[in-house]
Amino acid sequence: MLEPVIGLEIHIEMKTKSKMFSSAPVNYGDETNTNVTVYDLGFPGVLPTVNKGAVINAIRVCHALHMEIDPVLRFDRKNYFYSDLPKGYQITQYYKPIGRNGYLTFNTSTGEHKIEIERLHIEEDTAKQLHSYDCTLIDYNRCGTPLIEIVSKPQIHSSEEAMKYIDEIRSIVSFLDVSDGKMEEGSLRCDVNISIHEVGSEKLGTKVEIKNLNSIMNVQKVLDYEFERQSKCLETGEPIIQETRRFDETSRTTQAMRNKTDAVDYKYYPEANIIPISLDQAFIDDAIKTSNELASSKLKRYLQCGLSEYDANILISDKDLSNYFDNIVKNGVSYKLSANWLIGDVSAALNKFDIPISQFPLTPAQIAEIISLIEKGEINNKQGREIFAKILENNTLSISELASEFNKGMISSSDDLLKIIEEVLDENEQSIIDYKAGRDKALGYLMGQVMKKTGGKVNPKDTNSLLLEELKRR
Amino acid sequence: MKEVNIDVLKNVANSLMFDMSEDEYRLLEGEFNTIIKQMELIHNIKGVNEISPMTFPYEVTTSTLREDEPSDVISTEDALKNAKDVIENQIRIPRVLK
Repeated sequence: MLEPVIGLEIHIEMKTKSKMFSSAPVNYGDETNTNVTVYDLGFPGVLPTVNKGAVINAIRVCHALHMEIDPVLRFDRKNYFYSDLPKGYQITQYYKPIGRNGYLTFNTSTGEHKIEIERLHIEEDTAKQLHSYDCTLIDYNRCGTPLIEIVSKPQIHSSEEAMKYIDEIRSIVSFLDVSDGKMEEGSLRCDVNISIHEVGSEKLGTKVEIKNLNSIMNVQKVLDYEFERQSKCLETGEPIIQETRRFDETSRTTQAMRNKTDAVDYKYYPEANIIPISLDQAFIDDAIKTSNELASSKLKRYLQCGLSEYDANILISDKDLSNYFDNIVKNGVSYKLSANWLIGDVSAALNKFDIPISQFPLTPAQIAEIISLIEKGEINNKQGREIFAKILENNTLSISELASEFNKGMISSSDDLLKIIEEVLDENEQSIIDYKAGRDKALGYLMGQVMKKTGGKVNPKDTNSLLLEELKRR
Repeated sequence: MKEVNIDVLKNVANSLMFDMSEDEYRLLEGEFNTIIKQMELIHNIKGVNEISPMTFPYEVTTSTLREDEPSDVISTEDALKNAKDVIENQIRIPRVLK
């Protein structure tokens, strides 16, 4: 039986304020050719300076991927003559990448996988070129944007594993706030190489490379197509050529671009304009110590704090959602109630207004205030929802004032409350029998009856304990 | 040592996807020959083969990194000043994709 052998190279644009080797700003979507310095345009005599923020980011990703971090930063020059890089070369880390020998673990439908990561290096992005039918237009805003490239070993054996691997890397860079990790905006791009061989064989087949895939779905399509194509080649005896192919979205096929003999010789050599940079151990440790919590660690914490796997996974599927959640529970309210509110009412409001959580008008502290009032029994869930809806309409209202409005006319005397409870119990003898027989639903029914009789004007917590006491007595 | 002649230079230029005029190739060939002669001088120094090549003249490292703050941006007008053809603030060149 044949299986694919897949290796992935992922390029990630970093979310720094300035570029990798120049101080030009990095801002996606700005007016064309506004974020450039003389360095980015390759003017004579320009010299690179290494961005501290980008190095910190690279260290954090290396750590998340369990890599050995080289304490001496060295850069190399990759020579090529093309309009997207006016200097005539790209500065990269060819000989000594900052990170080596890491790994990533994840689960798929076939079980747990551990994929080794060969290297992680820092480099600079190229300019954005727009190709029309008769000309090419160049915007140098992207030229020099900090990139990290993560290269896996060829240990992936299905398109599902490849998709999960990319998704895990996307989650890591997103939670670390190193990158947006948005494939559709080009901040995460993927090159795949794939060969096929008999399952269990040590021998690798001829490798084909497909560059610049811009969505996880396209990675899946390419890998499935290539596996089929190469398997057919083996069946029919047609040779598989070592080449670079490109993916055609319309036909969902790959087409030959260039073969190995056409490969460009980049004539790499050490970048003489950057002296090797010694990274102090304290600097490396600090970068790691101050990095954000990863999704995998949040997941563990959420489960330990009593969330269901389902809820916890919803929260960690989006960095901003999980950060919002963490900012709610920071106020000392229950994890479970907070998750219910965020996944329930807040998410429904986000859907209604079609906005992301980052644009939600209510702060986590406001949601926590509502939850806290419910926990203390000062308002019930229904009233909490009413307050939420009112605040959503008018964010200048005070939650505590709205809550005290509800409390007006509340039955606060325990004697009065007891009287009503007694009435309810007298009217529902069967429910008492059911409760004593261990049918918990009966308690809920009795609570409902008290609420109905009082129009909800009772403290649910006090009512519950008084009801239990009274049930014990009978 | 491999001889650097005009054919070798043309081959290298071709690999790097550029070309020069014949005069420029001749000039570069002359410069390389001077460099090669200097290399031969060094090669004759006793024990030179036992020393590993260096990229930098001194074995030093720095710890200087640039703070991640934008500065020194040039105006779009300046950025596009040397371009022969500009359209909607983008540099227009002949189509580079086949």
